[in-house]
Amino acid sequence: MKDYTVIGKKIPIQDAVLKVTGQFKFTDDLKLPGMLYAQVLFSPVPHARIKSIDTSAAEALPGVRAVATYKNSPRVRYNSTTRLYTQKWIENECIFDDTVRFVGDRVAAVAADSLEIAKKAVRLIKVEYEELPHYVDPLEAMADDAYPIHGNSNIAGKIYQNAGDVEKGFTEADYVFEDTYTTPAVHHGAIETHTAIAHFNARGKLTVISANQNTFGTRVILSRIFGLPLSRIRVINPGMGGAFGGKLEVTVEPIVAELARQTGRPVKLTYNRKESMLSTRTRHAAVITVKTGVKKDGTIVAQDFKVITNTGAYAGSAMNVVGAMSNKIYKTYKIPNMRFTGYPVYTNTPCAGAMRGYGSPQVFFAQQCQLQKIAKALNMDFAELQFKNMVDPDGVDQRTGKPIGNPRPKDCLMRALELQKNWEPLSDEGGKYSIGVGMALGCHGSSTFDAHLDQACIMIKMNEDSSCIMFTGTHEMGQSAITAQMQVVSEILKLPLEMIDVVYSDTDLCGWTVGDFSSRGIYVTLYAAKKAAEAAKAAFLKVAAIMLEEDESNLELSESHVYSKVTDKRVERYRVMDYAQQVLNEDIICSANHHATMTPGSYGVHIARVRIENSTGKVEVTDYIAVQDVGTVINRLGAEGQIEGSVHMGIGYALCEKLEFDAMGKAKTNSFRNYKMLRASEMPKLQMDFIEEYEPTGPFGAKSIAECAIVACAPAIINAICNTLDIEIKDIPYKGK
Amino acid sequence: MEKIKLNVNGEDITVEVEKNWTLLYVLREVLDLTGVKCACNTGDCGACKVILDGQAVNSCLVLAWKAQGKTVETVEGLSKNGKLHPLQQAFIDCGAVQCGYCTPGMLMSAKALLDKNPSPTEDEIKEAIGNNYCRCTGYYKIVEAIQRAAEMMGEANAE
Repeated sequence: MKDYTVIGKKIPIQDAVLKVTGQFKFTDDLKLPGMLYAQVLFSPVPHARIKSIDTSAAEALPGVRAVATYKNSPRVRYNSTTRLYTQKWIENECIFDDTVRFVGDRVAAVAADSLEIAKKAVRLIKVEYEELPHYVDPLEAMADDAYPIHGNSNIAGKIYQNAGDVEKGFTEADYVFEDTYTTPAVHHGAIETHTAIAHFNARGKLTVISANQNTFGTRVILSRIFGLPLSRIRVINPGMGGAFGGKLEVTVEPIVAELARQTGRPVKLTYNRKESMLSTRTRHAAVITVKTGVKKDGTIVAQDFKVITNTGAYAGSAMNVVGAMSNKIYKTYKIPNMRFTGYPVYTNTPCAGAMRGYGSPQVFFAQQCQLQKIAKALNMDFAELQFKNMVDPDGVDQRTGKPIGNPRPKDCLMRALELQKNWEPLSDEGGKYSIGVGMALGCHGSSTFDAHLDQACIMIKMNEDSSCIMFTGTHEMGQSAITAQMQVVSEILKLPLEMIDVVYSDTDLCGWTVGDFSSRGIYVTLYAAKKAAEAAKAAFLKVAAIMLEEDESNLELSESHVYSKVTDKRVERYRVMDYAQQVLNEDIICSANHHATMTPGSYGVHIARVRIENSTGKVEVTDYIAVQDVGTVINRLGAEGQIEGSVHMGIGYALCEKLEFDAMGKAKTNSFRNYKMLRASEMPKLQMDFIEEYEPTGPFGAKSIAECAIVACAPAIINAICNTLDIEIKDIPYKGK
Repeated sequence: MEKIKLNVNGEDITVEVEKNWTLLYVLREVLDLTGVKCACNTGDCGACKVILDGQAVNSCLVLAWKAQGKTVETVEGLSKNGKLHPLQQAFIDCGAVQCGYCTPGMLMSAKALLDKNPSPTEDEIKEAIGNNYCRCTGYYKIVEAIQRAAEMMGEANAE
């Protein structure tokens, strides 16, 4: 690999010093002059028409400035995950409706002088409900005679993908296995809850400051709701305290915007933990049936997936998540005959949406658990079965015959097995514990290319001393994508990092960029940073060439100078900028776009060792190996951090995290007290590594990591438990016997 | 409203509080110390940890009037004269900061530990941050940063 100055290095996240001093201002840390505080009234019933709603007592309470309900708010239906101006996905959610569709659905909202008054006012709103049939289970909701939550059917749509001839493939197989697996709805668990501040000024301009991963898409949604041109809406994300997909979709933004419209004052709405858990978004729970045909030698000849997801009460990501799931399975194995049929189904439970992995954790859990079972049945080493079927670097998508980048699952597998040799033997402490090991492969894409346009814009503005400001549409949520972009600018412009600062995720200031999801920050937006930096360098050298009367192609940058590679001509960088401004009367501001023309597969092979207490059945993950195929590591601290965070979330998914609802759609898990995530002492010893074999279509050879790193976690752990106890587990979380 | 006296980050202050206000509310909303975060309000996540008379506590569970006469340390008081505390520097250098929302609470739990136990074991560190949730890091680099800070402080004291 080329010897870079900053690329590939361990560079701390760009705003770390603000975060360790408490100076970083998240949305909820901000107060605007005259700001009001909002509180939402949520539905206590799973499905009902609002027979009557009386807000008079709330309105009469001193300090209350507005009470918004479906009667006085726009009833424009939107899709909360919209990205493009011309995009029309299923639109069946509005700010407030005359029908509530889950416990936790929005009924009304109050803006008041203080949060205390707003809370009091919400309790004074009287609502009469006419209850409707409700469904918590998608299998019941999708029955022909079920009462429709929207339109005529609770099946939001159908996703179908096919390669080859699956039925014929099964006839050619020596054995056919069919199993059904289930995965739960889970909470994203970002430490910052959902929050936004909105203000309408006298010019009719709406500004929304929000913890949101999709600022440009949010602007489109708000423009549809309020009938405003995009020039009259500004969405700013000051940085988020974690998101993981949970802040991709609009949730609180339209509510505060409406209250700001009604009051003419800034309004803040911050959900508490319970509200964030139950009234925003969750991971899609899924029921996955996999049918796999194999030859005696372990060659997989056909695989058929039937997936039902619980998409909750509104469309949001219904089609997208199942669509993404359907694409990713075609990037992993050389299976000639493969079919996917998926149905997202409405139920009267909280909306499911984007979450790290976006469909992959569900489908790969099922596939990887079944493949281990098959290897066992064939009396074959699971690693051997994996190796036999995994795609090679020249592998193609079986549906289209098109390349999938430079896929390296086999390298991941070999490296993971090598790392396993570092494990010390683990004692069973005289029969107290049973110990076992499991493995899994995970895959994810690197952009939104499979679904829609994926494009990013980066702008660089040079200052008089040749330091620069980078304008990026990327959202800061701890993922180091902005830091990585600054590294690229630093590398190309030969500027130390402290000579570069950043303006980010502000729809008025930054060029149009798809939001931060689909693990696209490195593969797509970083490429735009590379192009913008190259353009700024060329513009800078052009000025220097005039100044030095030297051919541009002979010039190169050092930290302090522009110098000629062939003569002894050189000039300080600040003098070049001075020449540009004072003599040429020009400035150096360059922008560049990059759009994805494919979405290469990103891979991970994980191996987990578990220790199970025989008397209690308690499972402990003691050791963990994660090897990820990322093309090139841009920021080693950031890349490691993505794996480490994924392992935390992935073990939780396998063993303890689940949002549970009773028959009336009421949550049994509604706080950090009864929704368990892993504590520091519960994390395993972790070894990780990266396969860096260069993705030719990525910037500096890089592709994604952020979401891929979680995909293999749950199946690796569950496979370890199955091996240890010699059982089959088909449902997660596995909480022991 | 009732007047209480506190020492916050080395400064004696008097503040008027309602009976039901938490220390977290007073720190964030009255004193504008927004480095102290609220993420659960039930004492389960540690984002609001401050050091109260030497103990790391969840400020969401402490009624403000009960802190009368006590010393409160928040993340804003960690750096002195523009110089970062070794914990802050180690959190930056080790990559223990991602989204940053748990960071102030983590730092305060860690500081309370190192104030009492300058060279803790890995298990003691994990126990000290056992009530602090982090969703980004899997805690790995946080534990490493606390270890490194302890080493840095040990070396500084030895000099």
